[in-house]
Amino acid sequence: MSSQPNTAAPKASPKKKPFFHYGRIEGLKDFSLALPAILFLLLFTYYPLVNSFYLSFTDWNLIKPIKKFVGFDNYTRILTDDRFYHVLKVTFLYTIIDVIVTLVLGLLLALLFNKQSKAYGVMRLFVFMPYYISMVIASIVFIWILNPKYGVLNSFLGTLGINPVQWLNDPKTALFSLIMVSVWKSVGFTMIIFIGGLRSIPLDYYEASSLDGANKFHQFWHITVPLLSPTTLFLVVTSFISSMQVFQSVDIMTGGGPLESTKVMVMWIYQMAFEEFRAGRSSALVVIFFLIIMAFTALQFAVSKKKVHYEG
Amino acid sequence: MKKLWKPALAGALAVSVVSGCGGGSSDGEAAPPAPEDKTPVTIQYWHSHADAQLAGLDYMIKEFNKKYPWITVEPVFQGAYTDLQKKLLAAQAAKEVPAVANVEVSALPNFADSGVFMDLGPYIKRDKVDTNDFSKGMLKAYAYNDKQYGLPLIVSTSVFVYNKTMFDKEGVKPPQTWAEIDEFAKKLTQKNGNETTRYALSVPGWDTWYYDPWVVNGGGSILSADKKTATIDQPDSMKFMKKFKEWKDAGYMHIGYGKGASDVMRQMFYDGKIGMIQHTSALIKMYLENAKFEIGVSFLPGDKTRTSQIGGAGIAVMDLAPQNQKEAAWKFIEFMTSTEHNVKWAEYTGYLPTRKSAIDSEEGKTYFGKYPQYKAVFDNFDNVQPREQHPGYPEFSAFYKEALGKIVLENGEVEPLFKEAAKKMNDVLKDY
Repeated sequence: MSSQPNTAAPKASPKKKPFFHYGRIEGLKDFSLALPAILFLLLFTYYPLVNSFYLSFTDWNLIKPIKKFVGFDNYTRILTDDRFYHVLKVTFLYTIIDVIVTLVLGLLLALLFNKQSKAYGVMRLFVFMPYYISMVIASIVFIWILNPKYGVLNSFLGTLGINPVQWLNDPKTALFSLIMVSVWKSVGFTMIIFIGGLRSIPLDYYEASSLDGANKFHQFWHITVPLLSPTTLFLVVTSFISSMQVFQSVDIMTGGGPLESTKVMVMWIYQMAFEEFRAGRSSALVVIFFLIIMAFTALQFAVSKKKVHYEG
Repeated sequence: MKKLWKPALAGALAVSVVSGCGGGSSDGEAAPPAPEDKTPVTIQYWHSHADAQLAGLDYMIKEFNKKYPWITVEPVFQGAYTDLQKKLLAAQAAKEVPAVANVEVSALPNFADSGVFMDLGPYIKRDKVDTNDFSKGMLKAYAYNDKQYGLPLIVSTSVFVYNKTMFDKEGVKPPQTWAEIDEFAKKLTQKNGNETTRYALSVPGWDTWYYDPWVVNGGGSILSADKKTATIDQPDSMKFMKKFKEWKDAGYMHIGYGKGASDVMRQMFYDGKIGMIQHTSALIKMYLENAKFEIGVSFLPGDKTRTSQIGGAGIAVMDLAPQNQKEAAWKFIEFMTSTEHNVKWAEYTGYLPTRKSAIDSEEGKTYFGKYPQYKAVFDNFDNVQPREQHPGYPEFSAFYKEALGKIVLENGEVEPLFKEAAKKMNDVLKDY
């Protein structure tokens, strides 16, 4: 289409359309229907976004009436602070392990449970169930499950002859304990999405390839994985963003400790603003963090252009 | 929490609309004369009183209404102190504030510094409130830069709660000085090989409030007198930590650290696995009710000095509230902290009476007869000191808390860790 040379210039319409012609009125009508949503977004998403950008250049403490302009001071203070790099490391460690484990486990469960029968339906339900338990409740329950002295998990491990693990109380295991809870909670959702993806792959491919002599592994590697890639991309992007922004479970289960070993970015932002009274500096951190997430999401999309196969 | 928050905000909004919406911020040199005005007014009280204290609060509000029938007090529970504090920040930023609120001691400097609370001085003077009747330390805890921003409402201090049954059986007495701890601990600790099965004592590591008095009692301090530099790395300030490490390494001492550590300590104490625990006096009542053994209470052992620090919360008036609400709010906090109901309030809440006149009254004597455990606290009434007052405290205290954590969890060395903490603290202090 575009290769076709546009020889004849579009004829200028002899009569000018009236200002409120049909198309424009329709357009305005469409716009007016979208208006409430747009206003909502403007007020509750974009205004805070722009405002936190503004606050990041001030020394505001949330309660002082005066916001003193401090230029890039907040940014330089954060970028020269060792804690920033520590927190970044913790956040990425959490995110990478969480995303990989959830996706791999979710895919395996999806392959296992992708059968049409009542029994499998019930099993899927059990795997999915944690997803609709509130994170706050799950966290409170897990604090007790993981309690080193009185917890169910350690007493279970004890019967297997394994020494008590300190879980949330040890800087070495705290982050993994948090990841464990996160995986437990979200793997069911990943599984369901993967099952949806698996079912949208036409069976013809499998039939044709098995006629050509492909075994199960070949089929999985050359048909399932490539054709599942749009689903995988979706899950990688959404779980990457949500893992980067993990907060509730950290706040309730560890508060960022012990010894800062689970201090993720949002936790730090929150503590800085509401416990240390540094709203300005924490806004700067918000902006930096926003840019980091945006950059990584862009990177994921760029990579996906090469690797994701859309069918048809 | 969220559910409570919304109606609360709506309520605050409604109140301010009804009362004509206004900021009337007073410059506060002289209090307005006591108005004869008895037009009905509604004030909101944002508090952190846990379930166990609500009966007491109901009682107090009923009594208050008998005295001031035209003032309606709406109590709104806003969660723990830290939650309440965050909501107050938000309310202040939105300029929709309650009239009265609780304030936790360590948060006072920040709020006072930013003009969130009303200076009570002029009102105290106008109504001739005898502030000398409060313990000096308690009153000072709610003053900042020589202005009184709040009055002590629920006051606690950390004490050692001990298993008296166990102590009597083993023939030990709670140590009164640091020097006595070694012998005491040796007697009480039980070991199975290298593993301690019963600790002699436990000090909470999860909150600096518990070991700040140890710093002071060792002869040290957290900040220099001019509050410009950290002194936590001075020999006297680190003395307690070296002792803690000694006792911990010997298997005498248990130090809980991190979230959930409080529950563990409590449970170990109930199970007889710890002989004596440092905890807030506010929980003495809970221990009395739940332990299957006899409970004793002892004041913190001393070294160079023997003090403990004030905890709990005060009650303050929000400066942004409209004038008629402020007047009502002042009447409310004066009532809440008055001698008249002081002992009753203490009994209901499990916190300490704050008025000397109340303690000396007949009612006070009955109270001590009923709860002899509180005697240990009141014999040291004037040794209850305010906390380190600095707007940066929530931020910089995290550094020496972390140093203690590294010593407890990773067996770190005291001196290098405390030196590092002091360095980080100094970076923060530069901002003030």
